[in-house]
Order: sequence, then C-alpha cells, then structure tokens
Amino acid sequence: MTGPATMPGRAVSLETVAMSKRFGPLAALDDVSLRVPAGSFHALLGENGAGKSTLVKCIMGFYAADEGSVLLDGKEVEIRNPRDARAQGIGMVYQHFTLVPSLTAAENLLISRADAPLVVDWTREKRKLAEFLDRMPFKVPLDVPIAQFAAGEKQKLEILKLLYLDQHLLILDEPTSVLTPGEADEILGLLRDMTRRGEITVIMITHKFREVLSFCDSVTVLRRGRNVGGGRVSDLSTESMARLMIGDTQIRERAARADRAAGKTVLELAGLCANNDEGLPVLKAVNLKVHAGEIVGIAGVSGNGQSQLFEVLAGQRALDDGRVLIKDTPFEPNRDSYYRLKVFGLPEEPLKNAAVPKMTVAENIAFRSFDRPPIAKLGWWLSPVPMRDKARELIARYRVKTPSPETAIADLSGGNVQRAILARELSGDVDVLIVANPCFGLDFASVAEIRGQIMEQRNRGAAVLLVSEDLDEILELADRVAVMSGGTINYVAAVAATDRATIGQHMAGH
Amino acid sequence: MSQAPALVVLIALIGGAIRVSTPFMFVALGECLTEKSGRVNLGLEGTLVLGAMCAYATAYHTGSPWLGVLAAGAAGAVLGAMHGYICKLPRVNDIAIGIAMMSFGTGVAFFFGKPYIQPQAPRLGALPLGAWTGNPQLAASLEVSPLLLLGIAVAALMAWAFANTRWGLIVRMTGDSAPAAKAMGVSVDLVRFLTTTMGGFLAGIGGAFLSLYYPGSWNQGLSSGQGLMAVALVIFARWSPVRCVVAALLFGAAGAIGPSLQSVGVNQGYYFFNAAPYILTLFIMVLSAKSKRAAHDVPGELSITK
Amino acid sequence: MVNVPNPVALAPPVYGSVPGDLSVRIRRSAEYVAIPFFALAVSALLFSVFLLALGKSPLEFFQLVERGGFGTAFSLQNTLQRSAPLILTALAVAVPARIGLIMIGGEGALVLGGFAAAVLSIPMVGHLPPFPTLCLMATAAMVIGGGWVGIAGYLRHARGVNETISTLLLTYIGIAIMNFFVEGALRDLSNPNKPSTKPLGEAYMVGHIPGTDVHWGLAAGIVLAILLQILMSRTTFGFAVRVCGGNPRAALAQGLPVGKLIVLCAMISGACAGLAGFFEVAAIQGRANASLVAGYGFTGILVSFLARHNPVAIIPVALLFGGIVASGGLIERRMGLPDATVLVLQGLTFLVLLVSETLYGRFAIFRVTGTVERT
Repeated sequence: MTGPATMPGRAVSLETVAMSKRFGPLAALDDVSLRVPAGSFHALLGENGAGKSTLVKCIMGFYAADEGSVLLDGKEVEIRNPRDARAQGIGMVYQHFTLVPSLTAAENLLISRADAPLVVDWTREKRKLAEFLDRMPFKVPLDVPIAQFAAGEKQKLEILKLLYLDQHLLILDEPTSVLTPGEADEILGLLRDMTRRGEITVIMITHKFREVLSFCDSVTVLRRGRNVGGGRVSDLSTESMARLMIGDTQIRERAARADRAAGKTVLELAGLCANNDEGLPVLKAVNLKVHAGEIVGIAGVSGNGQSQLFEVLAGQRALDDGRVLIKDTPFEPNRDSYYRLKVFGLPEEPLKNAAVPKMTVAENIAFRSFDRPPIAKLGWWLSPVPMRDKARELIARYRVKTPSPETAIADLSGGNVQRAILARELSGDVDVLIVANPCFGLDFASVAEIRGQIMEQRNRGAAVLLVSEDLDEILELADRVAVMSGGTINYVAAVAATDRATIGQHMAGH
Repeated sequence: MSQAPALVVLIALIGGAIRVSTPFMFVALGECLTEKSGRVNLGLEGTLVLGAMCAYATAYHTGSPWLGVLAAGAAGAVLGAMHGYICKLPRVNDIAIGIAMMSFGTGVAFFFGKPYIQPQAPRLGALPLGAWTGNPQLAASLEVSPLLLLGIAVAALMAWAFANTRWGLIVRMTGDSAPAAKAMGVSVDLVRFLTTTMGGFLAGIGGAFLSLYYPGSWNQGLSSGQGLMAVALVIFARWSPVRCVVAALLFGAAGAIGPSLQSVGVNQGYYFFNAAPYILTLFIMVLSAKSKRAAHDVPGELSITK
Repeated sequence: MVNVPNPVALAPPVYGSVPGDLSVRIRRSAEYVAIPFFALAVSALLFSVFLLALGKSPLEFFQLVERGGFGTAFSLQNTLQRSAPLILTALAVAVPARIGLIMIGGEGALVLGGFAAAVLSIPMVGHLPPFPTLCLMATAAMVIGGGWVGIAGYLRHARGVNETISTLLLTYIGIAIMNFFVEGALRDLSNPNKPSTKPLGEAYMVGHIPGTDVHWGLAAGIVLAILLQILMSRTTFGFAVRVCGGNPRAALAQGLPVGKLIVLCAMISGACAGLAGFFEVAAIQGRANASLVAGYGFTGILVSFLARHNPVAIIPVALLFGGIVASGGLIERRMGLPDATVLVLQGLTFLVLLVSETLYGRFAIFRVTGTVERT
C-alpha cells in the first residue's frame, strides 16, 4: 500500500463474538459481543476498569483474547498482533500521543508506513504527502517538529496518520481529553462527516455523554467486563446510559455542600511567572484569590500551564516573578511554611508525585509528621513505634485497604494509594488545600469518597484550589471556576452564574 | 631552521588535534548512535581498552594491522552486545551497567594483554598529506591516519542516514519516544541492542587506533578516560555526528596541549595540561546541562539527561 | 448530569488475612539478602568456567583465596588491613546511593584526602604531638575529600550535571592535582626514587589495634559504618534522604530541601573516602605519592552495590573483597595468573550482580500474600 486514498464506500462493519479475556483470576472481558455497522460512529461507554481498553486492545491485537472472534464485514479475521490489525485496516488513536516529538509531521507519517522505503527520496515523498493532504478534510504543517504542535494539531495528525495508512476502521481512545471544547467539536464533527460519507467507521471510547449524544449513532455500554446494553443513541437518554454504566448500585446524592459565605482571602496568587523545562514562559502573570471555605476550580485544557502552576505551589518549580501570599504573608514552599500555614496538597498521579513507591504505607503516611513529636524526638531521632501506631490509626480511619502498614505503597491499588495520601494530608487541620486531578483513573466508589473528603474540608473552612482537566468535576465541586488558557487566567466566575459554553470559549482562548 | 616557539606549539597542536582526535571521534560516533536510540553506554572506556588490546594482539600474530582493526571492532561489538542485551532486562540500571562494563572490559584486556606489552606489532601506516609543504615539522603534523578519514566518512554517513533512511528515522524515533516506536510495532530493545553493538564496534576501532598508530604500543596505561570524555563530547555536540567530529578535534587539541608544550621545553604544569581534557569535559557538561538548545536536541528517552 | 454517590462508609476496614508486620518485613529483607548471595554464587560459577577454559583449576583458585585471605592468622590480618579502606570507599558510594545518586568519585577523594593529610603534616611533624597532629590530618582529609565530591553534588543540584560522569572526571582531575604537587612544589627532595611528600616518620604514624597487626582504620571504618546506618534509618535526616532518593518530586512537594540534602550526602561521601586516604597515608604509606591510586575507590563501588548500599552490610562484603585482593599475590605466584585476574573477577561479579536486579519481585516466596487489590 503506497500512499493513501480514503475513498467512499470503504467503511467496514465490525462485530465481536463472545470475546473473553482473563488476567489471572480477573475477568477483564466476559463474553462480550457487539456489533458496529459500517459507516457508523459508535461509542464505547463504561467507567474506569469496565473493560473498554481491554476490548479494544484485543481487537487491535495487543492482547490475544482467550475466547471469541472478530468479524469484519461479516467475515472472521485473525488478529494475532498489531501488524495484523493494521493489515486489516484497523487503526487506533491512543490517549497519549504516539508521535515522535523531534521528527516533523512528514517524517512521522513516512516512518509509520510498513513499507517505508529504505532510502528516502524526500522530494518525491513530500510531493505525494502534499497530494494526500489536499484530499483530506484538514491539514497540518509538514515540516515543523511535532514538539511545536498544539495538542489539537497533534490529534489531527494522529488521525491523518491512520488515514494515510489506509485504515478505515478507526478506534479512538478518549480522543478529546486534551482538546478544548471547540477543537473537540471540530474533530468529532469532521469524523462524523466522514462516517456519513461511508469512508470510515469509528469506535470511540469516551465517558463524556455530551459527545455521545451530539456525534454518535450508536453506543455499547460495558460494565465489569460485560456488555450490559446499548443501542441507538436516539433511543437512549443520559440517565439510561448512566444507569447502564453504574448498574444497580444506587445513584447517591452529590456531596453535601454547606451553605456558607466565603471568608477572607487566604490564598493569593499575584502575578506568577514561571518557565517550563525548556526555558520558555509557561505561566504568564497568573492572578487569583481563594477565600476560606470555598473551592476554586481551575479549568482548562491540559497543556495550558495548570500542571506547572501546581508545581510552583508544591515547590517543584521555581518562580521567575510574582508572589504567592497565604494569609497575607509571602509564601515560600519549604517545610516550615507548610507546617505553620497549614498548607496541604494532593498532586495528580499520587504514586508519581506524592509517594515513594518502595517505602511502606506507614512511612508514606508519615511524610508530614516524621520530623515532629511524637515520631521525632529531640528534633532528629526517629522512633518507628509511634510512626506505626499513627499509620494504623489513619489506615483504619480512611479505610485504606492494605495487608499491613509495612507493605510497600506501590503494591496498593490506585484508589487505596490516593486514600493513603488523603489520610496523610487531610487528617489534620487544613487551612489551604491544593488539589490536582484527584480522581483520574479511579473507580466510582473511590471517586465519590475523595470528592466527599475535599468537600468536607471546604465545609470546615479550608481554602481549596482544585486544578482539574475534568470540567464536570469542577462544575460539581467548585464554588467559583477560573479558566486557564495560554499560561494565564482569563476568566473567573461563580459556577452558578456561568455555563459550559462560556467556559469552553475561554478555554479555547477567546 | 629554528622556529618561533609559538609556531612550533601551534604546529604541534594541529598535529596533536589530528592524531589525538581520532579515538575520540570513533568513540563519540559510536556513543552518538547509541544515545540517539535512547541508551547510554558508559562502558566505552573498557571497550576502548579491549579494542586496543585485541588490535595489537591480532596484528602481532597475523602481521596485518588492518586485521587488527577488524578484530578490535569485533571485540567492541561483543562488549556492546553484552551491554545492549543486559540493559533490556527489566529493572536494570544502564548507568551502573556501564560502570561494570568499564571494569570488566579493562580487566579482560589487561588479563589477556599481559604477554603483549613487550613485543612490537606492525603499525598502521599514515597518509603523508603534508608532503607538499616544505616544512618537515608541518609535514609530520599533517600525517593523517586513514582511520581519521574513515571516521569522518562514518560521521557523514551517519548524518545522512539519520535524515534520509528508514533505519535512521527508526533509531531517532526509538530514542525520542519509545511509546511511539512500540505503537508502530518496532522492537525498542532490538533497535537499542543493535545500536549499542554498532557503537561498540566503532569504539573498538578507536581503541585500535591507540595501539596501532598513536601512541602505537600496548600497555596498561593506554587509555585514561577517553571513553568517558566521549560521552560528554556527544552531549556537547548535541547528538549530531558532524558536530561530534568538530568536538573531537577540539578535544584532540586540548589533549595535545601538554605534549606540545613539552616539545618546546615547557615542562612545568605537565599534569595540569594533561588534565586539560577532563577539565574541559567537566566545563562542557556544566554549560550544556541546562542549556536550552541542548534541551531541544536531546533524545527524549536518554536517562542521563532526564 | 450523572449524580455522584455520597461518601458514606462503603466497607468496614479490611486487612484480610494479616500475615503480621514482622513477617512482612522479614520477607522483604530476605529477598534483599538471598538475591545478592545468588548473584555471588553465579559469578563464582562463571568465573570457574573461565578458569577451566584457560586450563586452570577453579578449586585451586578458591582454595588459594581461602588460604591467602582467611586461612591463617597472618592472611586474616592482611585481609583486615585491606578491608579497612574498602569499607570507607564503599560507604562513599552507599550514602549518595540512598538519595538516588550514583557517585563513583571515591578514588579521587581518597587521593586528595590523603594528599591533604600529608601536606598538613609537614608543618606539624616535630612541633605538635602525634595525636593532635593525626586528628587534624584526619579532619583535613575529610574536609578536602568532602569538598571535592561536594562539587559534584552541587553541580548536580544547581545545573543537573550527571553525577556519575562528573565524579569520574573529578577523580581524574584530583589524581592529576596530586601528581602535580607531589612531583613539583611539595616533593620531598631527599628521596631520589619515587616522587612523594615528606614522610611522617614512625612516631607519627597511626598505630595498630592492640593485639593485632591491623591499623585503627579498620575500627574507624566499622564505627563509621554503624553510625551511618543509624543516621540513615533512625534520624529525620536519614528519612528525608530516603524520601528524596525514592521520589524527588514527592520530596519537593513535602518541602524537603532536596538540593541541600544532595550536597550534604555528596560531602559525607567524599569525607568517607578522604578518611580512607588519611589512613592510607598515616597508617600504611607514611607519605603521599602515586601509590595512593590503588583502585580502592573502584572496588568500593562493587562492595557497596553488593551490599545494596546498606552501611552495615558493607562490612562483611568488604571483608570478602579484602580477602580476594589479599590473596592476589599468592594466586599470581602459584597459578601463574596475571594480577588482572582479580579485576576480571570483580568486573564479572559486578555485572552478574547488576543483572540479578531483574530478579527482584519475581519470586512469589518473597511476595506478601493477603488481600491486596491489584490495579
């Protein structure tokens, strides 16, 4: 297959028949049969751990299913590895970009071909690439290294890559998580048009109901590895889809928000400026005030400086200019300040940013308290017995599932790691709490618990800064929302007084 | 004909740069290839020494210095393959492996090399590129080993291959983003294994230069850190094969300061001038560590700069 | 919009079949002892194959190691003598390893530390009594050694320079500095043979531990190892170091002064190696010269890795390698093997040990059972 050509009528239908996959005792997929008609835009819904990724990886040949088969256009096909999948015209866009940052778009496209020439005649290849791009509904610059692309452009290039390789069954894994609402709508709209024209079939893994309702024709819902239902989107509602996803467990009330007026300004970010790892400015005069007893959510598409803002507050990145003020005093992120001013933090991906994987649960829980009595005597001598006792108490109180306090924290599940970190950070008096993406990748139960804990701190009077890439999370928890775009905050409003569309516009930079 | 000392030193420096740079060049090119694929091989010091010994021993027994060069390359490839194979095992620290290979390679070289310290092996000839100058010292300086020309050719080939061949692009991809390579079905471990092996091959040839050309004999003090300096050299050259050649010439000149000054009778500070390359290397590492430009060019998967 | 469930108590606390904290800790430690032992055994096996291929007898080799290293009172003293610097240079690798750095500058710090001690002795010999002189010399050695490796620590903290390469470069530079002065300005001109500094003289040398032929350096090494172990496991400093070594980002988020800790650990490392240099000068050589460059620094790297950077475990491992080094001469004479044999054994052992890292976590017998939910 040299060169691409997406021609009308090439879309195929996909059917899985009784697919099963086990990992040890865990049945990740259990007898899953689904049908995706040719030229349809099909959504795959389910909460984290439901089996969506596993199903898709089986179709793509990363895993070998224990049982079951895949049919394309009604004919059974054997897919033993990703190469077979590609040969069958199945392509996947992953959650994390699989583009090579230092190579240009042209080089990325060329190298992705199985038949890439041994010696490259760039004049000829670039000409053919230009011809290919002319046929496509969207374009990207060919000679710029990917490292300089915006997230939306990278996503477009990922899709273009699949089309270039003549894949006509596209599987997308949470494709819009790194895009602004505007970019997301643009790309999903373009894909939908291509499906309507019968050029491709799309299967999209998502958890965003809005996208399902706006762009998809049909949906399949997975829960605990089984296909629990689905159908045409026009026949379903958000509630019915949600019920399918969560199952019989009661949909409980959202975390109770205490009715209170916000207090004084406790945390103030004044003109924060910082550079990223390459020395380019990433925070450009960030200004924000957070009051006692309120949650301010920082919304924004990932890559606009939110991570770096959190790093500045967590002492992991230096400030070039500007000041952080807590209770009207300048704040330096050192241990003494954290203790005196009662500042606590829940970084995202706790195992990577807040815990030492090889240390025990007891030791990890002691990070805040190891240099104070009762654990530390005389300021420098460490006693293991008080450490263990305190750990036991917190493990019980926060329901951290662990065989023993001496287990390495890396052996715990994601939800329990986060619970352990919560136990460490929230068990004392909290005046300022800084949180980033606390529920990423966790199951519903853990998510509910953690959000409840955050709300409880707010109710008790803490000033909470919540940085999240999940707009729904912010809309549910926050009192006020601030939008971060291009390294600065360009919009602040009370959650009750604004709507998604306005927030989305500001996220896109307008 | 007496000459101004400054001129003598300059001529000696040029000659030194040309001569001393060649092992640097080969090791740096080998390491450049390895690091472009995302792996660091700190064990090249041991490879250099083992290559030197194998070249000398082979040349001695077969009478052909070029067979010695080949043997050195083969020995280097074996060590490189060991490094490449071991480093793909999970939880293995490639920097520590490099240190271990350094002592292993050196140990094996000294062990088997003991009988070769005295005897004289046939040496590699030189190309008298300076014969047209009427000046005998300049002519001596400009005597160029064919290995130097080979090294420059290898650098040009590498530079071209990185941009214009499938394998070059695959190597760059593996070094910049292992997930992207895996998604494309490329075996990251295999690519790194091959580049480390080839890198070892080149480094071995660098060793052959030491024992078969300049200084042209085998003993246990033959190399002292050149393999290590080559690693810094690659960082300084920002992973470009052509810049590696330039940097190697620079390092060669630095290494030639001591002997050049000695040739005009400046004997003090001998050790300091011999330490010049190490100091230069350290300096360069400090400068390029936080440099913005280096940050752009660094292969994303390289562990020493993460 | 989906309603999020209420955060009520969802399940009672679960420990499952709790195996008991002690058994958990024993299992974890068992793994850290069993696998290095296994690595040692494998490397001994491979080395035996190597010897067989050369037509030599492995049995004879190990017998000679046993005899030359541990068999007689004389050889045991010899071993202890040679283990003393190894303990210290291994500690020089172990301490930075706990904060996540691979620093191999022990050789350079040893040389410069010994040199500093020798230099300091020049104005003091004959003017001050031996004991304060030696104390000052030891202090100088530790300060200079600590400062030297501290440079690498600072470069790592301030500029992100890779500490393995920088410490190795500093080693070469340090040796050059010593050679420069020893052959130049500080050379003892009354000695026409080997360039070296003025000798200390018998009266000012460090003596032997009573009842043995081993100098006090061994005791110093053992005491220092125990002290550093206590420092690492029972002080807030050690805890902070371990957090930084385990995850620097988490350490920063806790407000720990990662940069300061890095430099401090580097300085402790250099001080240990510097002290080894002091003993080499003050207990063995009596002066500073090129003999200081004896490879203790590099062997110390292997000792530390084999002991998994645990200060107390370093003591027996250093003894083992001291024995191997001590028997080197015997092996050379009796078996006709070149002195590089020990180098080969060391390199091989180091490689096998590093490869054995891949075995951790693979054996169920070391794993903790119980209700652990896997991600």
